[in-house]
Amino acid sequence: MINKYYIERTAQAVFTVFAVVTMTFGMIRLMPGGPVSYIRSQLVQQQGNQVDMEQVNALVEVYTNVAPDDPLYVQYLEYMTSLLQGDLGVSMFYNDPVTMILASAAPWTVFVMSISLVLTFGLGITLGAVMAYIEGSRFDVSTTLVSIFLNSIPYYVMAIVLVYILGYQFNWFPTGGRVSSEVATGMNLAFLQSAFYHAALPIASLVITGFGIQALAMRGNSIRVLGEDYIRVARLRGLAPHDIALRYVGRNAILPMYTGMMIAIGFMFGGSVILEEIFAYPGIGYYMFRGIMARDYPLMMGAFLIITIAVVVGIYVADLTYGKLDPRAGSGGGNREAY
Amino acid sequence: MSKTDDTQTPTTAGTRTGTGTDRTSIRVDDPIMEIRNASVTFDMERGESRVLDDVSLDIERDEILGIVGESGSGKSMFASALLDAVVNPGILSGEVTYRPRGDAEVDVLGLSPEELRELRWEEISMVFQGAQSSFNPTITIRAHFEETIEAHNYNMEQAMAHARELLSDLYMDPDRVLDSYPHELSGGMQQRTLIALSLVLEPNVLVMDEPTAALDLLMQRSILSLLEDLQEKYDLSIVFITHDLPLVAGLADRLAVMYAFEFVEVGPAGDLIGNPTHPYTRSLLKAVPNLDTPLAEMRPIDGMAPDPVDVPQGCSYHPRCPLADETCRAEDPAYHSVSPDHQSACFHWEDSAEAIPLSTGGDERGGGDGEMRAFAGNQSDEPVVSLENVDVHFDQVADGGLLSVFQEPDTVHAVDDISLDVYENDVVTLVGESGCGKTTLGKAVIGAQRPTDGTVAYRGQDIWEAKDSRRGADIPYEHIRRSLQMIHQDPGSSLNPNRKVQASLEAPLKRWEPDMDPDDRQERILSLLEYVGMSPPGDYAQRYPHQLSGGEKQRVALIRALLMNPDVILADEAVSALDVSLRVEVMDLMLELQDLFDTSYVFISHNLSNARYFSGKAGGRIGVMYLGELVEIGPAEQIINDPQHPYTKVLRWSTADLDIEETVEDPPLRGIDIPDPVDPPSGCRFHTRCPEAREACTREQPTLGGHGDGTEHETACFREYDESHEYWDSEPVVEDDADATADDESGSWGHANE
Ligand code: SF4
Ligand code: SF4
Repeated sequence: MINKYYIERTAQAVFTVFAVVTMTFGMIRLMPGGPVSYIRSQLVQQQGNQVDMEQVNALVEVYTNVAPDDPLYVQYLEYMTSLLQGDLGVSMFYNDPVTMILASAAPWTVFVMSISLVLTFGLGITLGAVMAYIEGSRFDVSTTLVSIFLNSIPYYVMAIVLVYILGYQFNWFPTGGRVSSEVATGMNLAFLQSAFYHAALPIASLVITGFGIQALAMRGNSIRVLGEDYIRVARLRGLAPHDIALRYVGRNAILPMYTGMMIAIGFMFGGSVILEEIFAYPGIGYYMFRGIMARDYPLMMGAFLIITIAVVVGIYVADLTYGKLDPRAGSGGGNREAY
Repeated sequence: MSKTDDTQTPTTAGTRTGTGTDRTSIRVDDPIMEIRNASVTFDMERGESRVLDDVSLDIERDEILGIVGESGSGKSMFASALLDAVVNPGILSGEVTYRPRGDAEVDVLGLSPEELRELRWEEISMVFQGAQSSFNPTITIRAHFEETIEAHNYNMEQAMAHARELLSDLYMDPDRVLDSYPHELSGGMQQRTLIALSLVLEPNVLVMDEPTAALDLLMQRSILSLLEDLQEKYDLSIVFITHDLPLVAGLADRLAVMYAFEFVEVGPAGDLIGNPTHPYTRSLLKAVPNLDTPLAEMRPIDGMAPDPVDVPQGCSYHPRCPLADETCRAEDPAYHSVSPDHQSACFHWEDSAEAIPLSTGGDERGGGDGEMRAFAGNQSDEPVVSLENVDVHFDQVADGGLLSVFQEPDTVHAVDDISLDVYENDVVTLVGESGCGKTTLGKAVIGAQRPTDGTVAYRGQDIWEAKDSRRGADIPYEHIRRSLQMIHQDPGSSLNPNRKVQASLEAPLKRWEPDMDPDDRQERILSLLEYVGMSPPGDYAQRYPHQLSGGEKQRVALIRALLMNPDVILADEAVSALDVSLRVEVMDLMLELQDLFDTSYVFISHNLSNARYFSGKAGGRIGVMYLGELVEIGPAEQIINDPQHPYTKVLRWSTADLDIEETVEDPPLRGIDIPDPVDPPSGCRFHTRCPEAREACTREQPTLGGHGDGTEHETACFREYDESHEYWDSEPVVEDDADATADDESGSWGHANE
């Protein structure tokens, strides 16, 4: 029953997020060297030994939304309530509300990720389809080799290589930041140019290491579909080659990749932590990394939460929409002979 | 239809021209297509593979030409050649001429790609075997029609109107079909939809390559009868390609028999069936199980069809031909005219009738002679397996609309309240359309399917109780499992591909008879292999499954089941996947082994001819199933020759006779498609399709026993009840009677398999 499926999926997604939130709460509360002791030690450093425990607790509550004196369940409820209200606490390092920091960072991460995703899949699918059509040609063989090779390089290695050579050695690309400080923020050409210019290397490192596997997947799927009877019938019916390529080969070859595509969204968000650090690109991942380095728990937790939610939502959307895109999904094959 | 006037006089033996013998002699008066010296070759590592060998044939305007051949005889290549659609890297040479009305002549092989594109589907169209795989699974049926119409620049509105008409001609609801995705249609509907799609541009020639092979016989016959209507209505010339000679015999005007990539005999259907002259045609007629040929006369053809790389010298049939002599081995026979329009490529066609006697037609109907009961064993009084009021219901996951969240899962009544006894040395054949529950019932018999209600007992011991309690059982479950074996339709799936035949066969012996000494074990396996005709057995024992042919795999599977010394073997469509000429052979073997091993068979088949052959030869029973119920059961010959239940009569009708006079009539049915097993019709489940249905049938359910003459032959139909039953007084159910059929809409014409 497909609707039962939807409900199950939704419940699953909500539960995953919920579990992650609970885990974050547990970590804040229980981790040795957690925020409470961290804040205390900060105060001790600042004010010498006469630290007022009440003051510590008040501070902790300001930053993390948790009052250490309350019973555990009250703490938990309060933490959840503030989360639901969009309050992720205050960053200790930046002294700004975490929500605000992440809200300003998120669009940039989304910007880089979505372009990378579009390019990775666009390039992969096009190449894969071309390779399948001229299967066995020199282009096919060499592209396959290159794809395998590039796919075997981790994106962060590629990132380091790119930033080192193109950034530091040749100075062709910026080595950090979102936009040049000289352009005015807004939807003007210079701003956009600068934004793309700064995003180019992170995008390149994701795309270069990511398109190969998609191209190979597309190639395999297309070759399989090209061998199907319905392609032969479609040709006999006199359909134009581009119709067959798009509606027959394309559609049936891309569909199985769709789920992978959605999961890639989540994966890329996860990868943004290292990637943005390498390029000093202030997105969500960058702040998460900063949070970890500075033991800035609220920031770290907030970023972690956002990334988790992105991953869960990506998979969730993939699950839900796949049924809409592929008419066969969820019908159980309808094999009547089985009775 | 008057035919040939310029037929060549019989060529003297030995006239050879160029690459082969002159076989251009098959001419007709008004050909719509002429094929001359068409060959298809593939370059293979082992040499050139010639899968169509210099064939020439005319297709008469408005005729139905049946092309018959076994798989691998080149018949599909011939089909592709008509549309110049031979798949790469095959190379087609020769001439294919298409003559639309008038004098126009189109050289099909000389067309530009664009001209060819237009010719296909607009003039010559094609229907393929696997309808499911002929549709793009991700777009709707409507999109298939629309894109075809668009690609050929036809007027969309008119063409779609035509499409709807075609769909209704094929007894489907156009709206419902058009809005469906391919997988939402049942196999029969897909195939009919594909036929409609192939006719949407109003072609003159329709080439059909095994269009019904994957379907139930009843559906096949129904489609055939619709085809005949279509052919008349739209003035089509149809080329119908099949391996099933009896199937096309009644439909086709002319028949052409293919063997080893060439036509060996061509002639009007009546002549060819009534007076076949080529030894291969004659053997083919004998090899195909049908309801008319006396059982004792059915004979498999010895030997194998030739390999396209290495076709025998001279007449390609000589290694298998009982008439072969020196001339045959040395020279390729030309066509000899049996009559002006009946040609046979055989030197000794005049002697073939004597050498290979046939008695087709109804003269020896039934054939209840001595030999028929040759295999009949002694059936015990006590049943080996006994089923009592068995139900098997499956919960089906439905994909309905939003509201279905709140619904209970649909229940499929795969088997409903069936009681059946299987005796020792018994043969029970279950027949019925796909989805009627015959496989489920078979599995319930051998304890492979737990019934949701009722009991299954093995020699008095409830099988499932034995399994659950383990201790208290009189007969241990292990023993029961071992005594009830199964062989599958696809023997490949039951053999481990990474194990040699020897190892596969040893496993059961090792498990069940661990004390047996390895030499004895080996001995036993080899002797059985030898027995089933796989010699040298030592060689076969060392092979892997992929090195065996389909028939050989089935034999290995059979041996494996028999090695357990079982009491009952469930043979689920065990011969359906085999070539027709092999079926009789394998069935014979199964029956011989039954004698040897004292087993019983539950044989499942959708084909009444096979059922009759198998059950009839062993003096067993045939049970007819419909929508989870047993509607008629009785001795094989009685079921075949004197069917009582209207549904059995339909099945009987669907089993094509070799009788050529009998044209394809409309089916004795009110609906082609089977109702949804999730929501079976009320009362008698057959009432939505039954031509005899009366109002009482929609309310009340007839039962098997308790009426009639108290013999073994039982029928669940009110027509078997005595005059006092209310059936006889109630109103007939008329199709247009909205009240009577309204709530059974889904069971009527055009039910979509949701
Ligand atoms: S008799 Fe000779 S020519 Fe005729 S089929 Fe047999 S082998 Fe061929
Ligand atoms: S009971 Fe009625 S509907 Fe059922 S088979 Fe007999 S006549 Fe037909």
